[in-house]
Amino acid sequence: MAGTLSLPDSEVVQYLCACKKWNSIYRLYICRRCFKIRCGDCVLHEVDSPYCPNCLENMPSAEAKLKKNRCTNCFDCPSCGHTLTTRATSQMIPNPDDPGKSTPKKMYYLACGFCRWTTRDVAIPDKPIASGAWEDMENPDAARISTLLEHYQLLAQKEKVEKERKKYSRRRSHLMYAASMDKYGLVSVAAKRKGLISAGPNPTIKENEEINIKTIKEAVTVEEFPPLPDEIFTEPIQLTKKTSISQRLAMSEFQPSEAVELYPRRKHLLIRRSLRCKECEHNLSKPEFNPLSIKFKIQLIALLYIPEIRVVPPGELKYKKDTKIVLTFSNPVNTNTKIQFIQAEGNEGEKVTAKIELPKKELVLAHRDVPAMYADMPAQQDFKDDSSVVSFRKANKLGIIFKVTPLVQEGDVKVCFVLKHDYLNTAATLPSENEEPEIVWLEHRVTVNLGPVTSSK
Amino acid sequence: MANQKSSIKIAPGAVVCDESELHGDITIGTRTVIHPKARIIADAGPIIIGENNIFEELCCVINKAPENSTPGSTQAVMIIGNNNVFEVGCNVEAVKIGDNNIVEAKASVGREVNLTSGCIIGAACSVTCSEELSDNAVIYGANCERRIQKERPPAQTLQIDFLTKILPNYHYLRKPAKQSTPQKS
Repeated sequence: MAGTLSLPDSEVVQYLCACKKWNSIYRLYICRRCFKIRCGDCVLHEVDSPYCPNCLENMPSAEAKLKKNRCTNCFDCPSCGHTLTTRATSQMIPNPDDPGKSTPKKMYYLACGFCRWTTRDVAIPDKPIASGAWEDMENPDAARISTLLEHYQLLAQKEKVEKERKKYSRRRSHLMYAASMDKYGLVSVAAKRKGLISAGPNPTIKENEEINIKTIKEAVTVEEFPPLPDEIFTEPIQLTKKTSISQRLAMSEFQPSEAVELYPRRKHLLIRRSLRCKECEHNLSKPEFNPLSIKFKIQLIALLYIPEIRVVPPGELKYKKDTKIVLTFSNPVNTNTKIQFIQAEGNEGEKVTAKIELPKKELVLAHRDVPAMYADMPAQQDFKDDSSVVSFRKANKLGIIFKVTPLVQEGDVKVCFVLKHDYLNTAATLPSENEEPEIVWLEHRVTVNLGPVTSSK
Repeated sequence: MANQKSSIKIAPGAVVCDESELHGDITIGTRTVIHPKARIIADAGPIIIGENNIFEELCCVINKAPENSTPGSTQAVMIIGNNNVFEVGCNVEAVKIGDNNIVEAKASVGREVNLTSGCIIGAACSVTCSEELSDNAVIYGANCERRIQKERPPAQTLQIDFLTKILPNYHYLRKPAKQSTPQKS
């Protein structure tokens, strides 16, 4: 849900999440088991699969880890970070059969469509095949990193053996936990020891065998730096030939200081994730597995279940003067929804700057009927609305009149109330049981920002 | 300046749409394409345009008098070289423009800037300081970052061929000055 998505009223109407945070309805989820609003901070984020945002290839997490969470085929521009595209050119190469003649051959290079950087800029030769020929540069510290990694794997293994000896009985659950936390690739080792995976050619560690850990070379502090070359004081610096800090840090292994040392960087993978309620562990959002698809298998976003509130721009709001304002409630579900209003009690971190008088009667929001909305048909149902409370009714929308008294002389007018509505719980009953779906009443605490108070001059 | 009479010289082979707005003393080289709604305004002096240039829709090339000029001061001639591309909605006031430059969409180039050759002013970038851009300079991004390209951008020959073929089918053209015969495609 991150990103710079701009939606109407995103700051104006806020709902209180079960974790006591205020959020716009567009950023909230609703759990159908615990009937509570959830936000991005109080749900469990689970990794479904890593995928490349450019070629949309997806792979299991283990494979992605092996590839250092980068795509093998797609590259980012080292200069500006835009995705590089492959360009084809034809090059004349001498014919091996007839040295006098030359034949055209297709050669490929990478180019950035944004800053126009190409692999030819940094003298990387063109490749004869379109993809796969761009090998990585050798990391100067690769050997050191792998020895450190091995060392820590051994350490982790030793720790694990000791822990298992202590909690022998609880080992199974421990292993399940480790499977989700597989940091150093140890689950396979532990599972092997338990005989869950058939023993491979690798020597297995026996129960009582001591893992001896070799001491590794200690890290050395760099104390002296090579002095600056003399040219730096005599020659003018050409900034266009130097790399920027962000360009350097994007290639953390090499950190080139000259622009000619830039090299295409492999594209980072993104993660397709699903969300789960922290309390009841039911799924709140589960996308389809294929990264090409934008559909969801489960999508319990609040906007599809909770009436959405919008503010009809009020006229003048004056200090200590009763003003009638209209809020529009729209019903997102296919059944008529009854709504009630309750005065908010206590304080949940909201800043209330006005008194609100709520309609005492129960009101009914008409069901959402998409064809009728487009056909512009008159509403078939007669709700016998009280014109002192209802300003207008159109399809699934209802404009309700509230009386607001601002209690501040300047600043925004903010009101708070509790919206109570009924909700047809279809999740709890199975369709085979001929039972009526259960009706639940949900209560949501809502704040509405009505805009600044009109100065009384 | 306002009393200047409009004198437009179009070399044979150039495609200048009638809906383009041309004011003042303008010379247009052969195989240069000027789209409809492009504006070329020689306000403070003549504009001389070379060969194989493309002026896209809503681009605005003005030879504008500097703010501190007095009436009757010497006129500056705006010279545009060959193989330049002025993309949609760009605004160019630079007096000296070399060859093979690209001014991308919505970019703006000030009068004091000297576009040498192979320069690319990226989309929506604005360059107004008095400076001479080095050859093959690229200015890109929201912060107008700079780098030097190794090769200059390729000439848009194919695009010019295509436009000289297509534009006359849908637009009225201004006739070249010397010959009234249509150019060979």
